[in-house]
Amino acid sequence: MDATARPAVVIDNGTGYTKMGFAGNVEPCFIVPTVVAVNESFLGQPKGQSKANWAAQHSAGVMADLDFFVGEEALSQSQSSSTYTLSYPIRQGQVENWDTMERFWQQCIFNYLRCDPEDHYFLLTESPLTSPESREYMGEIMFETFNVPGLYIAVQAVLALAAGYTAASQCEMTGVVLDAGDGVTHVVPVADGYVMGSCIKSIPIAGRDLTLFVQQLMRERGENIPSDDSFDIARRVKEAYCYTCADIVKEFGKHDKEPSKYIKQWSGFHTKTGSPYVCEVGYERFLAPEIFFSPEMYSSDFTTPLPDVVDSCIQSAPIDTRRALYKNIVLSGGSTMFKDFQRRLQRDLKKKVDARVQASISRHRLENIQVQAVDVNVVSHPIQRFAVWFGGSVLASTQEYYKACHTKAEYDEYGPSICRTNPVFKGTF
Amino acid sequence: MILLPAPTRVLQQILLHRIRYLDRAIELDYQLVEFDDVRYHIQASSSDATSMILSIGLPAPPPEAVLSGGLPFGAIEAVKSVFGPVVQIVDPPEHNFQLTLKLDLSKLPPDEDERAELMIQFACLRAIVLGAPLRDVLKHLAAKVVSPEADRLMPIIHRPRESFFVIPQPDKVTVVIPIRFKDSNDSVLATSFLQEFMEARRAGGLSTAPSCQWSPHPPVELKGAPAHALDANSGFVSFVLLPKHVESEKLDNIVWSLCTFHAYVSYHVKCSKGFMHTRMRRRVETLIQALNRAKPEEEKDGKSTQGRSILRLV
Ligand SMILES: Nc1ncnc2c1ncn2[C@@H]1O[C@H](COP(=O)(O)OP(=O)(O)OP(=O)(O)O)[C@@H](O)[C@H]1O
Ligand SMILES: [Mg+2]
Repeated sequence: MDATARPAVVIDNGTGYTKMGFAGNVEPCFIVPTVVAVNESFLGQPKGQSKANWAAQHSAGVMADLDFFVGEEALSQSQSSSTYTLSYPIRQGQVENWDTMERFWQQCIFNYLRCDPEDHYFLLTESPLTSPESREYMGEIMFETFNVPGLYIAVQAVLALAAGYTAASQCEMTGVVLDAGDGVTHVVPVADGYVMGSCIKSIPIAGRDLTLFVQQLMRERGENIPSDDSFDIARRVKEAYCYTCADIVKEFGKHDKEPSKYIKQWSGFHTKTGSPYVCEVGYERFLAPEIFFSPEMYSSDFTTPLPDVVDSCIQSAPIDTRRALYKNIVLSGGSTMFKDFQRRLQRDLKKKVDARVQASISRHRLENIQVQAVDVNVVSHPIQRFAVWFGGSVLASTQEYYKACHTKAEYDEYGPSICRTNPVFKGTF
Repeated sequence: MILLPAPTRVLQQILLHRIRYLDRAIELDYQLVEFDDVRYHIQASSSDATSMILSIGLPAPPPEAVLSGGLPFGAIEAVKSVFGPVVQIVDPPEHNFQLTLKLDLSKLPPDEDERAELMIQFACLRAIVLGAPLRDVLKHLAAKVVSPEADRLMPIIHRPRESFFVIPQPDKVTVVIPIRFKDSNDSVLATSFLQEFMEARRAGGLSTAPSCQWSPHPPVELKGAPAHALDANSGFVSFVLLPKHVESEKLDNIVWSLCTFHAYVSYHVKCSKGFMHTRMRRRVETLIQALNRAKPEEEKDGKSTQGRSILRLV
């Protein structure tokens, strides 16, 4: 059977979580933390000439080959033993450590998905600002180590857009993607499947910062949580209880008036001692997501609210695309999943756009001319958490995908430089 | 992870999740592919809280394979004996699949651990179906009963259009696995891996393990095998199993390890390549450092190490 007859493997490596599965499915098979626990002890051994030493290094090396863990297992191994150190191969959306990245992929393929990489085409993703060198490196690992028959490296934002459109069953690839994951937040305008590279805006606030903020608030209030896992608890609290409010002052009022309704309890057990604890979750429920909209609360370096960033991103795009962009602002990534996030963003953005239209009307004395209102539409859909993966799953199950892939034969002929660019294609849904 | 575990990880995850919420109907539909072209389709509908459908597709059979109803001999009996009343075999199976099972969740054992245990057995469906003929032969060996197939060359399908061979004898069973790799580099690595594998068995400590031979040429046991089975670019591995190797609880492990031996070798070949790349990267880094040290002072902070490639710089 030809590899094109089997479903492609779709892996979306994010800073925080990797989503992997087979094309054609509606959900990824696994969502695991992108982390590797490595045992580096064998590297520290002194180099020696004697045969015995060589043999020791050799056998340590043979074991080191497989002496590592990925995902949840990595986290639990590093907690229970000090021989393993955690390595996060991706930082801020970019692969930083290719050694651990290669091992991570190896486990994704053989231990999680359990497929033979020679049997499937692969679709990997990259953040919008990835360099061509990094794509080359990715291709090198995939073709040389795993002998994949074909590879396509897609831009995450384009895939998220594809996911949004299939949900609405339209087939057009123009819009702005707001991808807020764990490491960085990007605002990416796309026209007809092409990313407008010069208009991309990055925001240094993402899921990890929100978690840190929750952790800080809880710690300052003196909540009784074990300090070893306070980051993990903060993350869970954030995912379970945080929401976006309409007006922060009113929200404080609501919390103070009816604490029983708004204050939540979180209970758990210490991982080391096993003793139970209970803590309260209060203002951080709405303050954490609020840092997207009022970043000055969290950082003094970056103070532009999210709606302003989206607006200036669209304003920097060519004028003939702007209306289409305002009409289709797609959310993607785990950190856009807070309740009412879509509503708040839409409201603030609309306010801003309307004010500008009004201003230009009065400036140019156009009161008598009918100006068509700008349609602002923020699209949210139920699969935001893995929208990128889902878009990949949809695109990789079309025939065009197989034509757009770089094949092993091409790689062998021309070398890794073919992976520098990946042709845009539109799936027919 | 050194060995490939028998349960399919995704299936296990889906099934264990499913039995946690038995009172609810959950909609799910996954099409999965595992190494050696084994395919699964698992479905449950939101309108039916008590059943699930699991189909398995097997690798395309080689011409020498003997099948009954598209399945290896004994597969149906094996499935029935493991799962009993919980499954119903759907006839005909789903299109493009060889076996379709309907799970009746209302008939699961009441004990929670037993239930989870059974779900893990479902995740091992591949071993139950593809391993059935080998398990039968080894059971005869364990019981020291002469197998009906004695002294005949028995092909057992393990990969698309490929089989390995079993020669049952009254006091031992010989298994010969031809190893093939598409990529010539992989083939070289596999060859040296297999030689080390054989050496390791010879060295102390493993003397109770089944004896193991690797040879680049077809061993005499394969006399009479079809010509295409005698062509393997990474040689042939043979194991000789004695009754003590297949005692009760060892049986399942041995069946699984033999049926997936090729995948095991392939996994380690890929791991070794990854590991070599790690070493090459380290080497490139130290060489670049040495080069930087050799540069005259003023140039030092000029060019960085952009665009390095592990494979061409070394
Ligand atoms: N229900 C939820 N509500 C709020 N935040 C969530 C929720 N689920 C997950 N998150 C957060 O989303 C983040 C992970 O999102 P995602 O998986 O999209 O990121 P990523 O793809 O790993 O990172 P990136 O795209 O930045 O490389 C984590 O910080 C996680 O805590
Ligand atoms: Mg992401």
